[in-house]
Amino acid sequence: MTLSRRDVLKIGGLGLCGVGALDVIRAHAAPASGAKAKQMIVCWLGGGPPHTDMFDLKPDSSEEYRGIFKPIQTNVTGLQVGELLPELAKRADKYTVIRSVTTLNKPGDHAQAPLYWNTGNPRLTTGTDEYPMYGSVVNKLRPGPKDLPTFAVLDEIDVHTHNALARNFMGSAHAPFIMQPLKDKDAVTKMLTPQLEVPAFDKNADLLKVLDTKLRRDDTQDELIAGLDQYQQTAFNLLRSPKLRHALDISKESAKSVERFTRNKPAKARYPVGDPLHFLIARRLVEAGVPVVHFNLGYWDWHGDNFTAGKQQIPMFDSCLAALLDDLESRGLLESTIVLALGEMGRKPKIDNPKAAGAGRDHWDYAQFVFAAGGGFNRGCVVGSTDKLGERVKDNFYKVESFGRTLYHLLGIDADTVIHTPANRPVKLIVEDAPIIKEAIA
Amino acid sequence: MTRFTIPAVLALLALPGLCRAADESPSYQRHVSALFSKLGCNGGTCHGAVKGQNGFRLSLFGADPAGDHDRIVREFAGRRTNLNDASASLLLRKATGQAEHGGGVRLQSDSFEYAVIRRWIANGAKADTVGSARVKELKVTPAEQVAKNGETYKLKVEAQFTDGTTEDVTPYCSFESLDTATATVDASGTVTGKGVGDAAIMVRYRAQPALARVLVPRPDAIAFPDVKPNNFVDAHVLAKLKRLNLPPAAIADDATFLRRSHLDVTGELPTPEEVQKFLVDTSADKRAKKIDELLTRPGHADLWTLKFCDLLKAADFGVYADAMSLEADAPRFQAWVRARLGENTPYDMFVERILLATSREGRTMEEYATEVKLLFEGYSPGRRDLELYAKRKTLDLFWQRRGSDGVSGTLQVAHAFLGLRLECAQCHRHPHDNWQQEDLLDFANFFMRVRTVGFQGDNEKKFSDAAMYFKKFNDEAKTLEADVKKRKEGEGKKLEEDAKKAKLEADKLMASPKPLAASQVDELAKLKEVIAKADAFKTETAAMEKRAKTMPEVARRLLQAECRVLPPGKVAKVDSTLGTKESSAFRLLGEADAVTVAVDKDPRELVVAWMRKPDNPYFAKAIVNRVWASYFGRGIIDPPDNLSAFNPATHPELLKELCDGFIANKYDLRWLHRTILNSRTYQQGCTPTKGSENDRTHYAFFPLRRLPAEVMLDALNSATGTTEKMDMKFHHWPDEMKTLEVPFAPRNTFVTFVLETYGRPKRNSAVQCDCEREGASSIFQVLTLANHPRVWEKIRDPNGRVAKLLKEMKDDSSRVDALFLATVSRLPSDAERAACLKFAKEAESAEKGFQGVLWSLLNTREFLIQH
Repeated sequence: MTLSRRDVLKIGGLGLCGVGALDVIRAHAAPASGAKAKQMIVCWLGGGPPHTDMFDLKPDSSEEYRGIFKPIQTNVTGLQVGELLPELAKRADKYTVIRSVTTLNKPGDHAQAPLYWNTGNPRLTTGTDEYPMYGSVVNKLRPGPKDLPTFAVLDEIDVHTHNALARNFMGSAHAPFIMQPLKDKDAVTKMLTPQLEVPAFDKNADLLKVLDTKLRRDDTQDELIAGLDQYQQTAFNLLRSPKLRHALDISKESAKSVERFTRNKPAKARYPVGDPLHFLIARRLVEAGVPVVHFNLGYWDWHGDNFTAGKQQIPMFDSCLAALLDDLESRGLLESTIVLALGEMGRKPKIDNPKAAGAGRDHWDYAQFVFAAGGGFNRGCVVGSTDKLGERVKDNFYKVESFGRTLYHLLGIDADTVIHTPANRPVKLIVEDAPIIKEAIA
Repeated sequence: MTRFTIPAVLALLALPGLCRAADESPSYQRHVSALFSKLGCNGGTCHGAVKGQNGFRLSLFGADPAGDHDRIVREFAGRRTNLNDASASLLLRKATGQAEHGGGVRLQSDSFEYAVIRRWIANGAKADTVGSARVKELKVTPAEQVAKNGETYKLKVEAQFTDGTTEDVTPYCSFESLDTATATVDASGTVTGKGVGDAAIMVRYRAQPALARVLVPRPDAIAFPDVKPNNFVDAHVLAKLKRLNLPPAAIADDATFLRRSHLDVTGELPTPEEVQKFLVDTSADKRAKKIDELLTRPGHADLWTLKFCDLLKAADFGVYADAMSLEADAPRFQAWVRARLGENTPYDMFVERILLATSREGRTMEEYATEVKLLFEGYSPGRRDLELYAKRKTLDLFWQRRGSDGVSGTLQVAHAFLGLRLECAQCHRHPHDNWQQEDLLDFANFFMRVRTVGFQGDNEKKFSDAAMYFKKFNDEAKTLEADVKKRKEGEGKKLEEDAKKAKLEADKLMASPKPLAASQVDELAKLKEVIAKADAFKTETAAMEKRAKTMPEVARRLLQAECRVLPPGKVAKVDSTLGTKESSAFRLLGEADAVTVAVDKDPRELVVAWMRKPDNPYFAKAIVNRVWASYFGRGIIDPPDNLSAFNPATHPELLKELCDGFIANKYDLRWLHRTILNSRTYQQGCTPTKGSENDRTHYAFFPLRRLPAEVMLDALNSATGTTEKMDMKFHHWPDEMKTLEVPFAPRNTFVTFVLETYGRPKRNSAVQCDCEREGASSIFQVLTLANHPRVWEKIRDPNGRVAKLLKEMKDDSSRVDALFLATVSRLPSDAERAACLKFAKEAESAEKGFQGVLWSLLNTREFLIQH
């Protein structure tokens, strides 16, 4: 069955999942139910991917808006995506596209919107409290296996704010493990795998045990000592355990499997494209039991050369994300693993000079897409819609707080859990009250 | 209506407050609103929230009783109260869970609270006459009580109201023990002794606090040891320990004392030689002499520069177009503080020179402009600007930071210099303190006239004197730029060409195998002259070009960032979700009356004068308490930056004597450090005497603390005999510097990683808490020392500690000793030495063996934890 462009818009507007406003209100009043998601992978598209070229196409708009990419039909009736996403088009029955969450530029921009999206609170670079990332909260409230990190970041958190988000007011103990396992020289990856062979390491640790007695007499009483003891035990477990080493060692993966991720990696690119193997490592980490993995995938701030960059980066994103979904599904992990792909904004639907070589799309803080699969997100679903140019959200608008609350809801964490700022002010995990995005969840 | 249960009836008979209420109608404010506070109805997560809950809003903690009364009686078509059938009132039906209530069941219908509210409604749900409900004084008895473990007693709370009446308000109060391990208290005010210690019981009647203390001594009847105090610090500490029957720990041995005082006073480990020398010194006063010596070392000023820069948020620079930057200005700020501490400037002067800072300091605009120009020129290799800035009388950079103006700046002043956390009072009455919004706003008015830095469209009009230089410097820059262009294209080009030719000819001449003739020598000299002339010209052009780039910066700094005191006009104002509030009164914190400020006077001078009053309740106390906390990991009032009626001191007399001594010694910080360091309390061991193991607050033994990030890394470097290059040549940092001295995180990724991991604060001006510097431990900290590749590189460094001692020492035993001295600053025990020797012997090589020993020592808690 084929639908006209206009039908697509209409259906998108109503919301494919058929949830009315009343349900939304009910969802807000209902208490958090059991957790659907045990794990989460966030593929962060730092800089802001062009929503109207990927998941919110506007084929009826004029050339200076719609650009050169055509829509293609997906395997879900009524949902079309950009032609550079053929693999995801075949798998649209596995995920939800949300078109109606945006920062509205409050706060927006590359310096602030990433902090907002990744914490669910309007955190600024300076001048506000340092709200924690979702993974940091998981680390505090629901940590994973003792011989694995709970929150791993591959490469860096965000291409513009880098790792500013690691710092959070719950303390450095809840910062993510930020590593670049694909780089030989990465100190953190090395720090997580023993620098000595395990037998030599054990011998050293034995000597340490003999020497480390001076403050031990009274240590059961002392919080600091007890804490360090526990951390030392966990750290040494982690070093001795082969789990993490194996997860990071992609030589264990067949060439054919690796190829599914690397095949669309452009040989040359206008912007940094990120490493397709981070999808693979993320999957391996989740398989090993790491609760939250976050990685930044290249650079999507395409003020210039939007269409060149699109041709280079979107197909790689498409095949990688599709392979990740396939792998999680075939291992029975998709139901319990949230998979997100989003950036801090969309890109401006109006192209300033569409005919010019190097035409780009500018910042756009008023509309974007969120790709969400697994862990309790709906399959084959579109939430909300934008106006006919893709500039503003038209219906089912949700704030970023709602997005954050939805994630916590699925992870089984009460977003109203009170934590304390350094000044001892009690705040909720998501400070502002907001309804969860009921239409997006199963 | 529900019948009274027996306990409720007994309560009725026992409580005079209720007897009064039994024959009179309860009052809204004295009783009903008080019960809302007691039951938590008007808390921030319930109806006290900004939007209330489910359509019903009460003011937070009952701050607005008239409004609350109005909402209860009038809103919702008056259905909240039913005057004819009080029990049918929605207010009661909801609170008892008879009607659906999001907050659950708050009230039992057979409770005394229920009875009071019901009777108030039945009597017409009236409001109060003004004044009859204002509390003049709240008195708790017994104010202090010694209780045995398991013993109970009851607190009684009496309120004296401004209309002269007194009432027993015990049943309307909430009670909270601040140390539930020592004593608990129930809702009726019955205290139960639980464990050895000294607990404060916080009593609240409506928003008014009062405190009672309970002391539970250790029951053992053994005689308290006869311990001699070193000074008055010990006299107070020992007296309290004696009352609690907690015997103090023995004095720490010399090696422990030396390591501890070195790290605490200078932020550095003692060298192995220093340890050995101290251990063999037999003079009786060697500790006192060592303390005096350490206090004059540069490390002491460096360490406290770090602490003050944390406190004063010396990193938050750069507002749009003000030409301020972290890279240039954080080191200047640091240099100024370092200079004052190096001179041991009396603390009151130090604060005065910060609080009363202006950029010009009474000089002409021209003189000030020259200073700024020199500062910018000094931002080059060698950083001459640092010395220049350090010589300034006042620290205008404090007021040039982001968020240092207005109400947010006032919060910082209160936190940094008065140890107060007023953040909550921005939006509402402070929930854990006495502060009201007015208190903050009235205090903020003393700072409102300090000009806000940053670009404003009308700055040129407003500051015409600065605008003149702004224009002048920008013009100069343009002229310079034009000159540079002219020089480059004109004479420069020509000279360059000449020089090129001259160089070719000179090269030819110099390449000649034959000795040069006299004329050729002359010619060569001339050619060299031509080349030199071109070079000189080029250097001059480059300098002009640099100046052309700097001048607009200087101009912007002058116009957009000069700290000056403006004429009166702006008043203190806060905007929050709870509404806007402003005040034009000038009133010092805790004072009842407002003051008037002469138009020609800097209002901040009144603040400084008030701080300097010997009876100022906060100023000396805040710094004395912070210095104490730096040595013991907790303040006499703790957290150290929360001086509050709700947060009592553990040793109030000690704190007072330290403050009085500090003031009598003209705010001499070194006197304060010396007094604390010489005390037995500081010098005792960290191993508790039997019976005192559970003590956390009375200094029965020296409390353990993790080393701060910078100190830890410097200790790691010195233990391994290595250094870190900061990789900051670009910002003109010196080649070698201690981590303690870095003004902000450098490019060296290992250093930055360690700073982050071990909790160096960001110095975010929005965070008013000493805890911005973290003292907690984490798995990252363990992993760093245990397995970071850079730590292994240090252990294996070919010029490091192990490599050197393998070369320089012949026997393994001395090598083990050397490693102990370099890391934990003591000699090993026989058992430890034997274990290390065995390990070294069994290792693949001597090198690997001693590397393993060093690794083990670095990973002991003894290395990482101040003990």
